[in-house]
Amino acid sequence: MTQRIQIGAVFIIMHLSFGYVVYPNLIYRLTETAHWEIILCLGLLQLLLMWFYIKGLHYFPNNDVIDIHLKMGRWAAIVFLIPFVINLIALVSLNIRIHTEVIISIFLPRTPYWSILLLLFFVSVYTALKGLGTILRSSIFIFLFVIPLVLLNIFSSAINFNIHNVTPGLDLPPKFLLNMRFFYLLGFSSFLFLGFITSKTKLIFRHLFVAWVIVTLLLLLVVYIPLLVFGQETVITLTNPFLEAMDSIDISWFSFNRQAIFFGVLLVGLVILTNSVIFWMIGRVMQKVFAWDSSYWIIACSVIAFIIAIVVPNKYLLEKYFLWSSGAQAYFMISIPLTIFIYGFLSNRGVKVREK
Amino acid sequence: MKNKHCKLFIVFMTLLFLCGCWDIKDINKRTIPLVMGISKENGGGYKVTLQIPVLKNESQVSRVVTGKGETVTSALGKIRTSSENALDNTQIRLIVLQNNVAHNQQELSGIVKFLMGSEEIPSRALIAVTDENVEDVLSSINDKLGVHASSIYDFFNKGAGWAPEIFSTPLWEMYRSLFSSTKDIAVPVIRSGKNTVLIFEGSEIFKKGKIIARFNPDESQLIRVLQNKNEKGKIESLGFASIMVSNSSIQYRSSLKNNKLLLVSNLHVKINVLERKDGVTNNKIIKELERISEKRFYEIFKQMKESHTDIFGFGQQFQQLISYDDLKQWRSEYYPELKVVFEVDVKME
Repeated sequence: MTQRIQIGAVFIIMHLSFGYVVYPNLIYRLTETAHWEIILCLGLLQLLLMWFYIKGLHYFPNNDVIDIHLKMGRWAAIVFLIPFVINLIALVSLNIRIHTEVIISIFLPRTPYWSILLLLFFVSVYTALKGLGTILRSSIFIFLFVIPLVLLNIFSSAINFNIHNVTPGLDLPPKFLLNMRFFYLLGFSSFLFLGFITSKTKLIFRHLFVAWVIVTLLLLLVVYIPLLVFGQETVITLTNPFLEAMDSIDISWFSFNRQAIFFGVLLVGLVILTNSVIFWMIGRVMQKVFAWDSSYWIIACSVIAFIIAIVVPNKYLLEKYFLWSSGAQAYFMISIPLTIFIYGFLSNRGVKVREK
Repeated sequence: MKNKHCKLFIVFMTLLFLCGCWDIKDINKRTIPLVMGISKENGGGYKVTLQIPVLKNESQVSRVVTGKGETVTSALGKIRTSSENALDNTQIRLIVLQNNVAHNQQELSGIVKFLMGSEEIPSRALIAVTDENVEDVLSSINDKLGVHASSIYDFFNKGAGWAPEIFSTPLWEMYRSLFSSTKDIAVPVIRSGKNTVLIFEGSEIFKKGKIIARFNPDESQLIRVLQNKNEKGKIESLGFASIMVSNSSIQYRSSLKNNKLLLVSNLHVKINVLERKDGVTNNKIIKELERISEKRFYEIFKQMKESHTDIFGFGQQFQQLISYDDLKQWRSEYYPELKVVFEVDVKME
């Protein structure tokens, strides 16, 4: 039971971490009205993929994604999973860098970014080295400390809401499903880690559905808070709409005069856990495919990721590369669950045929 | 044993890194301005004035520092260079624009965009306009008795000296109005007073950063009410009686039939009678107040319609009825056709 709650917490934390920063901007650029429809569409698509994924994993009890790929053959594991690892390294470095930029703009304007990068990398690599147990346990701790801040942000920003800033229309831009940005957005949902923990626990779709509902509600809020404060016309001119919405809060009787600080603290917590999960996934894949101790792999990959994060020269390129890597992530999000589902389905039928 | 030493060593190493924050200037090494004034020089450059509280001196509560430059940034840079401490703009609570800046649409929107984009200056700082020299407004605080350095800001502060007819317009709302197609904004106009620090003169109406009109305090207050801000505490004199508003609320009903836009708005006001002349009935007070408010509204509305300015934000009420793309033409195509029925309902407590 505790482990299920922990997995749910990791699920929510990872989605929030990816959802806070670039996600709203992409949605605002994708559509001018009816933002909730896009979020729901994304959510349902993700739910469908998750269903395939879990169904596929159930065909192989006590195996995780890597074991299943190894069953297909070592070449299959290399062909499918090594590009995935490369993508994860890129994603982790760009994700940390994007968060660092936001943190600097909130409360550390004079600090050079490499020192913040170093701190974030150090903590998340350390957590990843300690293994899954530590990650899951710390997820509860971070969850308990992040969720009150998230709620505080939501409720305190309500004083600036104007319900008339949002157009309630139902009309979506035509063919938004084919828009490249929709594909990028799909890459922001990070459920693939679920397949890496199944060697010990059996995933139950029903429990994850609860986590999915919470995530979808939170993402709706993340998108709608800036909209309710500023309105669509203004929101597209801002680089960090959510941060600006937090900055606009002015409650004179409250003892903290800058709410954005809470947002910054919250981001630190989210990004550390998210990246430690990704590092742990990288270590796991490399260990099982190439049989070398996972901690060496984690350290080696984190050094590469750190170098990538430092080398990216400016915010414009950073966002562009980040979108590329999330697009690649979306590709894996579609291909890995479907591969496992089809392979599981076929091999399961093979077993049944032989039994007859 | 060796392991233990190693751990101890690491713990002591952290002392090295935790001894202080990176590049943080201590609070006693900082200059923290509260109010910023921006004006334009005759030659074309900008002048930035900062009002900085002085803590130790008894005879003077604050000092005023100025810097000149081609842009606001360079003027701020000049102040930073000449300042003896580190300049920390994160606590600025009020930005006063002199009229020569406020009357230039392009420059004003440039400044607002710069202030909003600046990471240091908070977007919740309030904005005000003044016709006087901005330096005089900020330094006038020094020759008043019994005031403290934050008095200029307290004038707008709901927790301190704020009065219900004063608009408090934060920077982010000003920024939003630069892009909005359905709502314009009112910014308070102030000048330095003789006995008090500031005097409220009314409000300027901005349409996408351009000044359209100026309203006196009474009209400003009606605009505030129509924007659904409570006018609790406002005192009104009717000649034969004076009343205080204890509560107010407004409801809108919008409809679009046969291409005719109609907005019905009901203003509910609760009042207390503070004093009255002999023989004046409650009914007379209510009738008179309703008449005055309605007359005031139709006067403002007519004036606003002529200049295509939607200060009440009526366009926002049609979000459900007109599509997003059509609303972009709200001011020019729909707003002149809009018919508003304004009814005031006054109740005595």
